[in-house]
Amino acid sequence: MKFRIHRFNPETDAKPYMQDVELDIEPSKMVRDALIRIKAKDETLAFRHSCGEGVCGSDAINVNGTNALGCLTRLSSLQEPIEIRPVPGMPIIRDLIVDMEQFYHHYRAVKPYLIRHDPEPEVEYRQTPQQRDKLDGLYECILCGCCSTSCPSFWWNPDKFRGPAALLQAWRFLADSRDQATDERLRELDGPYRLFRCHTIMNCVTVCPKGLNPTKAINEIKKLMLKEMI
Amino acid sequence: MSWRAHGMRAWVLQRFSAAYIAVYVLVILVYLVPNLPMNFLQWREIFAAPVMNIATLLFQIALLAHAWVGIRDIIIDYVHPVPLRLVLMTGMSLLQIILTVWVSMLMFSVVRL
Repeated sequence: MKFRIHRFNPETDAKPYMQDVELDIEPSKMVRDALIRIKAKDETLAFRHSCGEGVCGSDAINVNGTNALGCLTRLSSLQEPIEIRPVPGMPIIRDLIVDMEQFYHHYRAVKPYLIRHDPEPEVEYRQTPQQRDKLDGLYECILCGCCSTSCPSFWWNPDKFRGPAALLQAWRFLADSRDQATDERLRELDGPYRLFRCHTIMNCVTVCPKGLNPTKAINEIKKLMLKEMI
Repeated sequence: MSWRAHGMRAWVLQRFSAAYIAVYVLVILVYLVPNLPMNFLQWREIFAAPVMNIATLLFQIALLAHAWVGIRDIIIDYVHPVPLRLVLMTGMSLLQIILTVWVSMLMFSVVRL
């Protein structure tokens, strides 16, 4: 199979280039398997990967123009030559590895943890099954960054717009019946940038390897904001 | 309205103005377009009626709000140098205000009280 792989070593290369690679590999394998085999031949190739089953979220890459997890993208589903690039819009550290700091900064900024103002209960926090159901489709996010790095609004204002991944997590805690920081969370997200740069382009929904819907979460935040405003 | 508060408020403003614009355009399409072409006297007859007159003024105000939020969004997305942004936003606001004043003058000049 034919591959074209984005290569850049800041210590030796003046600018990035695409490297053509031919590899004998079964089409039933995943892109990650191909990268591992290519690395076995040329150990200078750098890419992130870990669990190999779409749980750790380390191997987000851009395959034939679409963000995806290398470990969940079957080679047979792709047209040759298979172009593998780092996810767009992020500073490139080397080859397929990008600097995710900006992404994590936004994740930290939405305070992705329960905030309680009442004293801790003697027993565990209780939730009804219906309250728990509201977290489905939100808690599954593995923070691979496929969504945020495919979002044009995030490319345009990466330092100010929180991005779909962080906003999905913002809604995950706003929707949680145990959380008591609704006002603070909403206030933090108001303004023209943090939440309202979303123009429902929905690239995030298209690329999410876990099948989640950040656009819906963003709309839920807007609805809650409207409700709180009136 | 502070700049920061322009997130939710601007979003709401854009949606409500869009709804009004949609209704107004529908009314125009149903009542005005079938009568085209019309001369000035016929046009004045329609817009002299206070309901149509006020509805048109409101339409212009809704358009002002809607376009202001929309164009501001485009400027925020694409225009990053602050001086250029300021020039574009000011120019756009001036144009919108001039248009609104013009439409208001037109409507006031034909209204039949």
